[in-house]
Amino acid sequence: MGKLLENYSKKIISDAGVLVPRNSVARTPKEAVEKAHEIGYPVVLKALVPVGKRGKAGAIKFASNPEETVERTQELLAMTVSHFPVDKVLVEEKIAIAKEWYLSIAIDKTAQAPVIIASLDGGVDVETLSREHPEKVLTRHIDPILGMADFEAKEIWSELGLNGKLLTLATQTLVRLVRVFLEKDATILEINPLVVTEGGEVMAAASVMSIDDSAMYRHPELASMVQLGSERTWRPQTELEKQMVEVNEADPYRGTARYTEMDGGDIGFLCGGGGGSLLSFDALVAFGGKPANYSEVGGNPPERKVYGITKGILSKPGVRGLFVAHNITNNTQVDVMAKGVVQALQDLGKDPHTFPVVVREAGVNDEAAKEIFTAAGVEYFGDEASITEAAKRMVERIKGLPAIEGGN
Amino acid sequence: MSILLDKNSRIAIQGITGREAAMVAQHSLDYGTKILAGVTPGKEGQEVHGIPVYNTLKKAVQVHNINTTVVYVPPAFVYDAVLEAVAAGISLVIIATENVPQLDAMKFLTRAKQAGVRVIGPNSVGMITPKDRVKVGAIGGDKVERCFVPGRIGVISRSGGMTAESSWMVKRAGFGVSTSVSIGGDALIGTSIKDLLLLYQADHETDAVVTFSEPGTHFEEEAAELLKSGGFTKPLFSFIAGRFTERMPEGTVFGHAGAMISGGAGKPSQKMEKLRQAGAHVLEHFDDLTRLMKEILTPERI
Repeated sequence: MGKLLENYSKKIISDAGVLVPRNSVARTPKEAVEKAHEIGYPVVLKALVPVGKRGKAGAIKFASNPEETVERTQELLAMTVSHFPVDKVLVEEKIAIAKEWYLSIAIDKTAQAPVIIASLDGGVDVETLSREHPEKVLTRHIDPILGMADFEAKEIWSELGLNGKLLTLATQTLVRLVRVFLEKDATILEINPLVVTEGGEVMAAASVMSIDDSAMYRHPELASMVQLGSERTWRPQTELEKQMVEVNEADPYRGTARYTEMDGGDIGFLCGGGGGSLLSFDALVAFGGKPANYSEVGGNPPERKVYGITKGILSKPGVRGLFVAHNITNNTQVDVMAKGVVQALQDLGKDPHTFPVVVREAGVNDEAAKEIFTAAGVEYFGDEASITEAAKRMVERIKGLPAIEGGN
Repeated sequence: MSILLDKNSRIAIQGITGREAAMVAQHSLDYGTKILAGVTPGKEGQEVHGIPVYNTLKKAVQVHNINTTVVYVPPAFVYDAVLEAVAAGISLVIIATENVPQLDAMKFLTRAKQAGVRVIGPNSVGMITPKDRVKVGAIGGDKVERCFVPGRIGVISRSGGMTAESSWMVKRAGFGVSTSVSIGGDALIGTSIKDLLLLYQADHETDAVVTFSEPGTHFEEEAAELLKSGGFTKPLFSFIAGRFTERMPEGTVFGHAGAMISGGAGKPSQKMEKLRQAGAHVLEHFDDLTRLMKEILTPERI
């Protein structure tokens, strides 16, 4: 789920024929004044960060002259919104609004079809609205094979009570947004609010859009707009996380290796299998351990990838040990895992006698893996122990380390 | 009996000449599973470990009367492979491929549903019925018996790897499996936990079911509803991994694509509570499984 910044999503829907306010990106107060001058006062200034509910966070401001623009832009650039420091501001034409509606297109996982949610009560929190006034919110599924016919879009707005020219304009807007949603492999496209201007036009005043990561291969035009791996973190990616995305992308079709940094922690975490990794993390935490990161490998990664991700894990400051675990593998060659892990330990000068490394790797070629790990001095478990039992041992080993001098 | 897969399954591999698929074919043959045909366009006339390759699934069906396929083609070709299987009259399609675009998944799942074709996955490591030595997909790897021995327990897992680990725990507890199914780690999949519970309920050779789950989706909530309504009455042992994710900021993905919590829905603690209220044996720790199974599955109870 690659999130797009608002200037990009507005560009995409505008290219599809949907009206949006004139807008431009500024990185400094001076630039904001220039852009505002081109657009014409009054303007809206929005923190350009990939998170919703910016209004509530005070990250949307207004300016009617250059002095206000400088002041408001400075305020915005000093903010951090939902963990994202603001480094850009969207300068936008302030629209004279007559009405605010709500419109979103998303994927309904249960119905296994795209779903439209529309309401003539816009500019509000749609979860609250649908809870308190379900009758004001209309939900309609789209046939994923056929897409949406114009008449279906017309029915939605007509049922909500539109008529006349507005019905025609709203229908046209919805049809175009659905087309863009399907064409661009979006996972969400939310327009809140969709407005009627005082001039009687239907316009997307704010937009939120995410693209399906798995479909990026067929959207080279979006490559520079989407930050890959951005769904795996709740804040801007750290340098180490970005490097680890590169390690993974270097062999895009052979196995996966992912890395998310945790705040603090002292146990380097390299686990395998989506479910096995969740189980391993839960188990370490249950025994009082503090993982320093969440890393998961799968799909039989090559040695180079295992080596790269292990080096990344070990390079985070404060890591005092390494836990390597996997469910019993179906296809991942655990001797390849062993080679990558041991090489990284050696290259970074981590001696398993003073830097505890506990491994639970069973499955394909585990006899060879056992030899490699054991020869390197690593505490190795195969299928004679469960993941939970190995996690317990890891936490015991970490707790057995001498206290850090002057440490925290 | 078993569910979906048995000695009458006539299996082909779509994309058999790929590296991974060829290895899986070899492991399947070693285990004793008959793989009758493979499909890779442009390679008709070749063989993979003695298995004949065809250009089209249609031809493979004509020659070998195939009724089950496993899809190993790259993500961009999965949509077409599933349509081909539906058109060829296949009744069970297991999709191993990971990272299938969501729009494609919605489209082929809709098409399969219309045609009455059962889809397992995408992102499934496969399924296995040990009694008949039939497996499709990588499940079990090269040492199948390490984890999968014949028995009367059904296993359903949202994680491919944990399908093996869960079946191994069942073996550790002194039991074996009727059929183990990796349903796929994505949120958009063809067969849910509830769908399989209905099949296990009707299977006279399954006495109880073990499920391994993750955060996200409504699969466990649906299963709980099924138990409440009396649609599944055998003992159900459920584990839900990823409780630590509840303390992380909302909307972050850990593990599989399906494992995303949003808007409070899909939290492990809520799933556990619902299943517990519906009468399932919900495991606090995964290792509790062996003890609980021994306690509950006594001869007089099953």
